[in-house]
Amino acid sequence: MNTDFINICLADDDEDDRLFFTDAFDELRINTKVSTFNDGVELMNYLNNEDSILPNVLFLDLNMPKKNGVECLLEIKQNEKFSDIAIAIYSTSSSEEHIEETFINGANIYIKKPNDFEKLKKILSEVVTLNWQYHTSGLNKDNFLMRM
Amino acid sequence: MKRIGLHKSPLFLKIIFVVSVAIIFFIGGITFKHITVLKKSSAYVSNSYEVNIELERLMSCIKDAETGQRGYLLSKDKKFLIPYQNSGSLIKKSHQRISELTSNSRTQQNNLKTLQYHINKRLNYLSKNLYLVQHEKYSEDELEYNLITGQKSMDSIRLRIEDMIITQKVLLKNRQKDYDSTMNYTPLLIYLTLIITLILITIAFVKMNRDLILLKNTIHTLTVEIEANKLSEIVGNFGSWKLDIETNTYTFSDNEYRLLGCEPQSFEASKEGFLKFIHPDDLEFVKESANNAVMNDSRVPFMYRVIRKDGEVRYFKDMGQVVSFASQNKTYIGTTRDITSEIDDKITTEERNRELESNNKELSAFNYIASHDLQEPLRKIETFISRLISKDHDNISTSGQQYIASIQKSANRMRVLIEDLLQFSRTNKAEKTFQLSNLNCLLDNAKQELAQTIEEKKAVLTSSVLPSLSIIPFQIQQLFINLIGNSLKYSKANEAPSISINYSIIVANEEEFLPDTYHEYHKITVEDNGIGFDQEYAKNIFVLFNRLHNKNEYQGTGIGLAICKKIVENHKGFIFAKGVLHEGSTFIIYLPVEQKQA
Amino acid sequence: MKVYLKFDYAQLTKKIVQEKLSELGYKYNFIGFGEFNFLEKVPSSKIAEITSVFREYGIEIVESQKSVLVQKIKDTIVEMVHSETPLNIKSSVYIAEKLNLSYAYLSNVFSEVTYTSIENFIIIQKIELAKQLMINTPLNLTEISIQLNYSSVAHLSTQFKHMTGMTPSAFQKIIVKRREISNKKQ
Repeated sequence: MNTDFINICLADDDEDDRLFFTDAFDELRINTKVSTFNDGVELMNYLNNEDSILPNVLFLDLNMPKKNGVECLLEIKQNEKFSDIAIAIYSTSSSEEHIEETFINGANIYIKKPNDFEKLKKILSEVVTLNWQYHTSGLNKDNFLMRM
Repeated sequence: MKRIGLHKSPLFLKIIFVVSVAIIFFIGGITFKHITVLKKSSAYVSNSYEVNIELERLMSCIKDAETGQRGYLLSKDKKFLIPYQNSGSLIKKSHQRISELTSNSRTQQNNLKTLQYHINKRLNYLSKNLYLVQHEKYSEDELEYNLITGQKSMDSIRLRIEDMIITQKVLLKNRQKDYDSTMNYTPLLIYLTLIITLILITIAFVKMNRDLILLKNTIHTLTVEIEANKLSEIVGNFGSWKLDIETNTYTFSDNEYRLLGCEPQSFEASKEGFLKFIHPDDLEFVKESANNAVMNDSRVPFMYRVIRKDGEVRYFKDMGQVVSFASQNKTYIGTTRDITSEIDDKITTEERNRELESNNKELSAFNYIASHDLQEPLRKIETFISRLISKDHDNISTSGQQYIASIQKSANRMRVLIEDLLQFSRTNKAEKTFQLSNLNCLLDNAKQELAQTIEEKKAVLTSSVLPSLSIIPFQIQQLFINLIGNSLKYSKANEAPSISINYSIIVANEEEFLPDTYHEYHKITVEDNGIGFDQEYAKNIFVLFNRLHNKNEYQGTGIGLAICKKIVENHKGFIFAKGVLHEGSTFIIYLPVEQKQA
Repeated sequence: MKVYLKFDYAQLTKKIVQEKLSELGYKYNFIGFGEFNFLEKVPSSKIAEITSVFREYGIEIVESQKSVLVQKIKDTIVEMVHSETPLNIKSSVYIAEKLNLSYAYLSNVFSEVTYTSIENFIIIQKIELAKQLMINTPLNLTEISIQLNYSSVAHLSTQFKHMTGMTPSAFQKIIVKRREISNKKQ
């Protein structure tokens, strides 16, 4: 882990949110490579490209133009190739129905975008760490559910 | 019941009539026969007397002849012979008469023959003696012998006649006996049959009387019904019409005319008379539907418009059926109802529904704006402030830092408000899918949700066994969370919170807060030992944004209990609060027990 | 038909390693979980070959001394959490005794390598086991809390919620619904 990078992707149409996100990872002392996408289509194009490095954790905003988060989620879950990617929903909505729906559709993590930068850092750090634990400590990924 | 009785009685009366007539005929027959017997018997009596008289006469004739002869024998005077000479024909006549009278009795006939013989014998002796005397050729001995023999035969005649009289008496007696025996049972029979007839007639009378009363009552009931029907037609805004299918004649009720805006019976009831009121656009349809209804006895109601006499357009709905009574013609009975106000109501309701729907859509649009778009900028304000504080804190002046802290506080409060408001409007709108859920599980979930606070405050929760109800699970869970959360929040600082949740089924009129009905309710109470509140404010605490405490004292937006009220109302239930300051509060929830039906 | 598996990674790993090493013709002996000794000298080129064979199964050869130690700590914790008999000493004491090193040192190395604390790792393991038990056994939450040595259900619930952000029943509900969906698809 200390030599390898953790690959992280974020699809979010909001520029500020992308900035907070990358800034947060910059300030964390974890070796990560963060790639961001402006919408679902852009993200899926990247993922479906043969040469792309698949992310360890993928953060998906629900509300995006062209292709929204749930559509991306369903598409990713249908493809065996992406079965190792942990999917984190990253949204403003805190509607219980939304949250349950995304979990049932296969999301591992649901993050309600926090309103404090320090909190965001903490959350992202926890997500990455826990994901690393699932990755390295032989935990059953089917049971990887987390809400923050 | 009544009608059946009435229906059966004619047959009964007919039977009584036939039986009575038969009995009268029977009595007549018997009386006739009896009178005949009586007549016969009296004839016989007189006959018997005549026989006796005739026999007496016969006897006296013979005696006369004998006396005359004796007189002649003594005096030789010829005038004494006249009775003797006459006696021959008289005896013959008497004999013949007796023979006639006794023709129906063989004994008497035989007696008569013997009498005849003796009479002849007597007369022979008489004539023999007379001859001997006249011709002077008699010897005293011969004459005496003749006289004695004559006397003997005279005795025999007397004997015979007496015999005959006795016989006749015996015969008469026998006849009398026969007649008496006939006469003895006849009056009894007549009497009995008369009594039976009387009874039958009485029964018939009683029956007829009763039928009459029944008929009277029925006629009364019918009159009342007819009046009631007329009234209900007016009140219910409908009319009725009849069509005699055989004769093709129509009858309209009074109100049928009124529905058309006319005076009752102001025009002749006919198809044409009615059709001219119908809206031209619906005319063909009405003709077809009415025809279909009458011909095929179709019981599908049909709707059409009419133009009343005063020009107003009204909506009518017709329906009816063919009825046929045993003795009468087939009749179609139809009703016409003015449904204009219903249609108007429906149109208004539809309009309102549309309005409501668009309002709801606007509301949910607002909901979405609040949930997403409004939160977004606020979240960014807060995030940027947090960045500003962490990154550039030292470069900002002291007052600037204070301002920033204030901005942060306000933004934070605004966020809490928005979130609570959102939750409130969500309980308002969320799809209300009721499903059978175990309340114990929901309570457990609520406890899990609050596990951290419960542990921190070392709260003790006790609960009785809750039922499974058809509810909106998520909302009831939220209700538990809010109520228990409320109890945890307003707990006393120096005492561990103790919260007990109890359940029972109650009847509304036994509860102080519920209306006085007999409906059953599930009663769930959440009781705590917290700081309580003054009962005066019991109602206010469920009002949106209403707070009993200063916001610095206890955190909160005043929405939690409003949500509780909303949730309970979504379940058609009631929620009440009871509080005693510094002792604790109790929240009581009533959820209606579902009616066991479809 | 869908079948759900419960498996023991340590057992699985050991089995695969045994089979592969025997296949390649090496002599070895197991020291403990995830640790074995070659009984002969193995050239580094051969090591690369073994590494690539193992990688197919997601097994990696860790070389650094610290990584080995971390792995040992993890193994100890997994074993401790899964053990049916409850511990009557503190877990830190147990681990230190088991590995014969000071707990402070172990804790430092662990945090340095994994970015998480031993305590946190123990909690993660416990919660994961709780999840498995919730899904695959008919045990209720109270029984699970007893088996996992929690002082109360509330304690387990609190920790579960703290770690996953959701209540145990919410977790269970999601898993049940996921299974329903995947059953429908088949």
